[in-house]
Amino acid sequence: MAVRKSIADMTSAEKTAFANALRQFKTTPVNGRSYNSYIDQHITYFARTSDNISHAHQSPSFFPWHREYLRLLEFDLQTVSGNPNLFLPYWDWTGSVSPFTADFCGAITNGSVSSGNFSPNWGWSVYRSSIATSFLQRRLGQNASRPTATTVNNVQSYSVYDQSPWNSTVSNSYRNRNEIELHNRVHNYVGGHMGTREAPNDPVFWLHHCNIDRLWWLWQQSRGIDTYQPRTGTTPGVIDNTERMRPFATGKTPSALRDITTLGYSYA
Amino acid sequence: MTDVKRRDVLRYSAAGAVTTATALYGVQALTGSEPAEGKPRRDPRDFDEDYRGKRIRGRHFGRGRDELHVNDRPLALTEVSTLFVPEDGSEPYVAVGYISAINHYDPVEIDDARTQDGLRRLGRRIVDRLNGLELSAEAGKGHFH
Ligand SMILES: [Cu+2]
Repeated sequence: MAVRKSIADMTSAEKTAFANALRQFKTTPVNGRSYNSYIDQHITYFARTSDNISHAHQSPSFFPWHREYLRLLEFDLQTVSGNPNLFLPYWDWTGSVSPFTADFCGAITNGSVSSGNFSPNWGWSVYRSSIATSFLQRRLGQNASRPTATTVNNVQSYSVYDQSPWNSTVSNSYRNRNEIELHNRVHNYVGGHMGTREAPNDPVFWLHHCNIDRLWWLWQQSRGIDTYQPRTGTTPGVIDNTERMRPFATGKTPSALRDITTLGYSYA
Repeated sequence: MTDVKRRDVLRYSAAGAVTTATALYGVQALTGSEPAEGKPRRDPRDFDEDYRGKRIRGRHFGRGRDELHVNDRPLALTEVSTLFVPEDGSEPYVAVGYISAINHYDPVEIDDARTQDGLRRLGRRIVDRLNGLELSAEAGKGHFH
């Protein structure tokens, strides 16, 4: 059972354990998956796949797709480290505590991350990089600013989960406002690889998406846990509530992923 | 045939149509750029400029088919219709933008009534984001949204 903590509440031993598990997983596949296979999946499922569905982004399944994606990674990190309590931490970017420190995600925030846990010296290689480099890249704060608590509150106040046309143009949609105003913006705020298609090269990807998942869970607790839209199996081009999300296993539907108390983790 | 299966067939044929259209665009782009007289077709918005030490070249072949090169390396572009939410708090609006492997979460609005130099602004933004580095071959690989 993983209790996902804020990076602000982590002990240095917990930070080290998390970084070590990621580095171990980078070189040691477990449960039939490798770290780089997560990067492949992110690239593949960002685009419309051969079934002409957007599974992971710019569509209603943005939240449940990433919930399963994170849950699998957390499970793989638990396996590789032999620690069943290992958890994905979340980065509340409205706060003052930064993940970019020497003892955690690395202190370099502009250019090549050439020192720390996620540098080539420590065994961290970049994979399928669209930037010609062998170093993880960052460019903090130069493409966008980070969202404020006011922006978060405003986004959380949208009461409609999502609605037609179910894409990135919907204005009155919690999913789309979160995806664009919070999710996209923080990808751009970090910059470098976090702004690219192959964003999971940067381990801070998981901390960011963990916070996005937490915000959805908070939203669900006030708006209802069973609130995913669209409900029926008749909406072309999008994942309905009871439809399997690829590439995940049969039964991995938005409905099956709605309640985190059944998924083996919680938020502290 | 169950509902789900029938729907999947529709989805697959939709995807097939997209592939065909993309292939056709490719042919049109080629013939459009090299007409019989041997003179390449030019759009007045095409550009070839140095920006922060990088050569950026943009050519306009019509929406969704424009081309961008940074130091002669191609960047695959994907058109996306999206809500733009300005950080300055001004009113959100829907427009068409380009994303790529490099600006994957940051669509740059392409030419419409509101803006006329979309491809150039995209080129400069890509150079900014590259932070002194070059595009890799991976950046030239496209995908469909
Ligand atoms: Cu993301």
